[in-house]
Amino acid sequence: MKKYSIILIILFLFACLLPIAEAGKVKLSFDHYYNGKDVVTTIKKLNRAYPHLTSLKSLGKSEEGRDIWLLTINNPKTGRDTDKPGIYADGAIHGNEIQATECVLYLAYYLLDKYNELPMIKKLVDTRAFYIVPVVNMDNRARFFTDPGGYNIGRTARVPYDDDHDGLIDEDDFEDIDGDGEILQMRIKDPSGQWKTDPNDPRVMVRIKPGEKGEWRMLGSEGIDNDGDGRINEDGPGYLDMNRNYGYRWMPRYIQSGSGDYPNAAKATKAITDFLVTKKNIAFVFNMHNTGGMILRGPGNNLAGFYPPRDVKVYDFLGKEGEKIIPGYRYLIVKEDLYTTYGDFDEFSYASLGIYSMVGELFMSEKEQYRGPNEKPESSAPAGWWGKTSDAEKQKFNDNVNQGAMFRNWKKVRHPQFGEIEIGGWRKFTTRMPPGFLLHEEVHRFSSFIIFVARHTPEVRLELTGIKDLGNGMKKIRIRLTNSSAIGTLTYRSIAKNLTRKDIVTIGGSGLKVLSGGIVRDIHFDRVDYVEHRPNMIFTAVPEFGKVDIQWIVKGSGKAKINFNSLKATDRELIVSF
Amino acid sequence: MLRISKTEGAALLILLIAIVQPCLAGVYKTPGEVSKELKTVAVKYSGTAVVKKIAVSPGKRLLEVLELVTKRGNPAIFLIANMEGDNPIATSAALELADRLLGEWKGDLMKYSWYIVPIGNPDGYARYFSKPLYESGLNNRPVNADMDDRADEDGPEDLNGDGLITMMRQKHPEGKWIAVKGNTVLMKKADRAKGETGIYRLFSEGIDNDGDGKINEDGPGGYNPGHNFPHRFKYYSKTTGTWPASERETTGVLKYMFDHPEIVMALSFSRLNTLQAVPPSDKKAESGKDKYKVPAGIARKMGIDPNREFHLDELVELAREATGFRELTAEMVLQFLGVAAAVNPDKKDSPYWEELAKKYKNFLKENKLDGKRLDAKKIPGGSFEEWAYYQYGVWTFALDFWTVPVKEEKKEDDGLTAEKIEQMTNEEFIALGRDKIDAFIQKSGRKGFNADMIIGALKGGMLSTKKIAEMMRKMEKTKTAEGVDVSDKALYEFNKDAFVPWKRYKHPTLGEVEIGGIKPYAFVTPPSGEINEIISQRIPFICDMARMLPSFEINNVTLKRVSSDVWRVKAWIVNNGFLPYPTHQGKRNRRPAPLVVSVAGKDIKILEGKKRIPIDLLDGSGGYKEVEWLISVEDGSSLDILLTAPAVHNVRKSVVLKTGGAR
Repeated sequence: MKKYSIILIILFLFACLLPIAEAGKVKLSFDHYYNGKDVVTTIKKLNRAYPHLTSLKSLGKSEEGRDIWLLTINNPKTGRDTDKPGIYADGAIHGNEIQATECVLYLAYYLLDKYNELPMIKKLVDTRAFYIVPVVNMDNRARFFTDPGGYNIGRTARVPYDDDHDGLIDEDDFEDIDGDGEILQMRIKDPSGQWKTDPNDPRVMVRIKPGEKGEWRMLGSEGIDNDGDGRINEDGPGYLDMNRNYGYRWMPRYIQSGSGDYPNAAKATKAITDFLVTKKNIAFVFNMHNTGGMILRGPGNNLAGFYPPRDVKVYDFLGKEGEKIIPGYRYLIVKEDLYTTYGDFDEFSYASLGIYSMVGELFMSEKEQYRGPNEKPESSAPAGWWGKTSDAEKQKFNDNVNQGAMFRNWKKVRHPQFGEIEIGGWRKFTTRMPPGFLLHEEVHRFSSFIIFVARHTPEVRLELTGIKDLGNGMKKIRIRLTNSSAIGTLTYRSIAKNLTRKDIVTIGGSGLKVLSGGIVRDIHFDRVDYVEHRPNMIFTAVPEFGKVDIQWIVKGSGKAKINFNSLKATDRELIVSF
Repeated sequence: MLRISKTEGAALLILLIAIVQPCLAGVYKTPGEVSKELKTVAVKYSGTAVVKKIAVSPGKRLLEVLELVTKRGNPAIFLIANMEGDNPIATSAALELADRLLGEWKGDLMKYSWYIVPIGNPDGYARYFSKPLYESGLNNRPVNADMDDRADEDGPEDLNGDGLITMMRQKHPEGKWIAVKGNTVLMKKADRAKGETGIYRLFSEGIDNDGDGKINEDGPGGYNPGHNFPHRFKYYSKTTGTWPASERETTGVLKYMFDHPEIVMALSFSRLNTLQAVPPSDKKAESGKDKYKVPAGIARKMGIDPNREFHLDELVELAREATGFRELTAEMVLQFLGVAAAVNPDKKDSPYWEELAKKYKNFLKENKLDGKRLDAKKIPGGSFEEWAYYQYGVWTFALDFWTVPVKEEKKEDDGLTAEKIEQMTNEEFIALGRDKIDAFIQKSGRKGFNADMIIGALKGGMLSTKKIAEMMRKMEKTKTAEGVDVSDKALYEFNKDAFVPWKRYKHPTLGEVEIGGIKPYAFVTPPSGEINEIISQRIPFICDMARMLPSFEINNVTLKRVSSDVWRVKAWIVNNGFLPYPTHQGKRNRRPAPLVVSVAGKDIKILEGKKRIPIDLLDGSGGYKEVEWLISVEDGSSLDILLTAPAVHNVRKSVVLKTGGAR
């Protein structure tokens, strides 16, 4: 009896646990931002809820000692992660570009949450490996939530640097003068200033026209002159832009500001570089940022070298699909459509590691437009440098769509150096990132693009296409490797520069002598590029939406084992008996 | 003069020791022995000498630095030897330098800290002691050089068992090489234009281990950490590294130097010599320009003309206007313009460099060390030597110790060599007269020129004696009349034992071959009996270099009373050293830290002027900057003017502010 009751209790407990395990499928919402701690607890939660599909690992510690987490999604029942094409996605290499994290977090969540529900997702997760680093810049993304700041503050790694070259390091940061927890803009009354208030909306600042009387002088972001050099906020903590610190075409600071002392001088760039070289299966890299509504690819500078036309075709195919998956986003080239950058991550992963790589710039000011159908923007209020929505229009969006949550109105403050000034402006969680109600769509659509690309990582089929008896115990064996995806097993840059090992196709078997072998250039006319040495081993790459035919002439009988061994595609094996 | 006779004495003594103790095969210390010696030094001179670990190589060897410090806070000289790993004598020289600094030179030279790295590339250096002997500076990182399925699977083999990896020659229709007539060892490339047909194919000694048809295509290692620095790094090379600073040795050195902002000069003992042949001066380094065009896309956004050139300052202003971003710096604008990095020394640094080179050559001449010899190695991409100047921003010089001596050719005339012409002024050259200049042109083999044209170009400023010398150097022959490589021939004439005579060998895949050729390290290792002398004769120049470093003084202090307790204080910050602080290239890259001038005193109040005045550059030989404050302080108080920076000796000047007591 006692025995039974124990068993019953165990059964009961087990029954209780079942729904928990089932409900342990964490429910996450994407109408808000996850702060530094929330991100970590969330990925740990996901890892606990999906122990059979995920693993969690710290790639190293940040400058301030925070773990840089990697969440790997792989189904070990269908093979080791390194045997499958890998997709790497990271977020918030720039600490203030926070929704980049929500985007890759959503990707992870969606893949896990829909695993049992959507066959397409199940198939994808079972055949691919996902490597997700939700936050690269752990320190400044965490501080974005806790420290007084603004949407432009916290981009870089906290590696100390004497920005103003005065012999003191990081001595003149921003200050939250009015103590409201945010670093906003300062303005001072000045008839010789270049700005006035918009007569239609006193919150909006307008540039004066030549001959007009000025009203305000803009003083920059909130802060004081800490070191008495006559400048404010000119040497804040750090300045090492991790997205300029990677090892391809890295340039010193006088060419590329924020590049750091040398490549991989930041903890995270070093940790991620060290990680990526261990995962040769990664076939695509996404590096997530804000802002501007863009899908970017290299080259980022004139020295980035030749992008082989077939690589460009791969990028173009994917990028153009991306423009449809995420309406309003534009597929652009960094150097040509934006500006020159050196040492950025996507260029490094493409040019040095041989992985197709793209950057996502989430959110754009067009999302904050306030216009009727067919209405044109008011011409009197010019749009900003980056955005297409004027401040005046954005204020209407703020008032009528966001109930005033986005702007802090100007208020009088005493500044220790300037005297009476006013502080106000667009608040921290605005401008570069969507309000919560727009976040979900944004991260879903971009994740869908990543999923689309992941579906197009190489998928290679190996099949026997013919055995021909040549007499004298000799046989001609032909096989075909077919890749149904938009991404080949190697980038063309990688082939040109010998960046990664090619796919190896081998034939072997006891009682089998391989007389010759090679890649068939023309199946009808039997044109073959014969390999003189080691004909049993053919080095090749299977192109995007394409095929490779291989032929061997062998002597002997019995069974032959044909093996396709690829770094970036799942290996295949074929037994041929004759 | 006393100093030189002293060093000569020391040299003689060392020479005597060398004679008494005949040098054995192991004249160079193994990495392990070097490590042991450093420890011994640290124990013997504890309090001054400390050994620290900078990195561990892929071959698990230590990269160590010997720090000689008499006083914390002193500026430091960083010396690295053998960063490329293929120059054993450099390591011996570094050890010798440490020895001298702790011994006979301990006086004024030790007012600098010395950070000495005897082996920058320990794996590469260790290859000199390996059996069989195989010349390579690569570290031991496994690299799949031929991108097949394995790494390091097809290295060389000592087939003839002589302990050396030399060459194999095989008679083959595809052969491009022939033996030099009347010579049993030298080879040369066949010149079809002279009716020569190639006979031999050349291979390095070994077999095709992996059966891919290639010999020794994936040997042990590795990358060369001496080619892995992030200036002019060569991407996509099999030996430089996967990316700049990918190698532990390189990163170790980078990190060490950035952790030591007190380093004011970097020296390298290697196969390079940047004083023998000064790198060309700034010609068209993009970053040195001050006017730029703006790329069309950006120009459109800024509403400016893409065809116009703008001054950098103007662009900064325009960009600040366009973006509304006040903190925008010139560097950020340059980056938008896609400007490339400097590749030639800054034109303001070059004259100092050239002057120092002149001093070096005089030193060699005075000590009869200027015999003709093969040129030092050309500076490779990704070198420590260039990086330290271009990015770390300090004065950096490389010295080599030995190359194969070249027999002086018989002089037919007064022989206008590149060196001689370089030393001349334009006027002196013109003064040679038409006949001599014409003869010179004829001898140089330049057609279509005459003396009048040259004189005209010199007078018109299109040409200079420096340019003529540079052109002559470029034209210097790399092949002898018989078609042999000049350096091979020089080695042959210097030491016939540097060659292994070709001997027949039955090769498993190539069949009949001959094995022979130049012995590994023959070009970089002098006869063992001469090593100590070579080092001790040349090393005293390091003293001269250390004595040219910037050295500061605060003088010309003027104190002017403005009212009862208000003073106008002026002072000059003067650099009495020869070299500017820092380099102009350093100023461009904002490294090293600036000089900072400040005032201190009890109850002083600065009414005008900055609390701290950073100075980003001060020229040498009396270059000065005036600093000024208006200070309110009680009569009779004392005031300290301070000059501080990590990489200089800090200076304090105390003055008393007293009525009638100005100065």
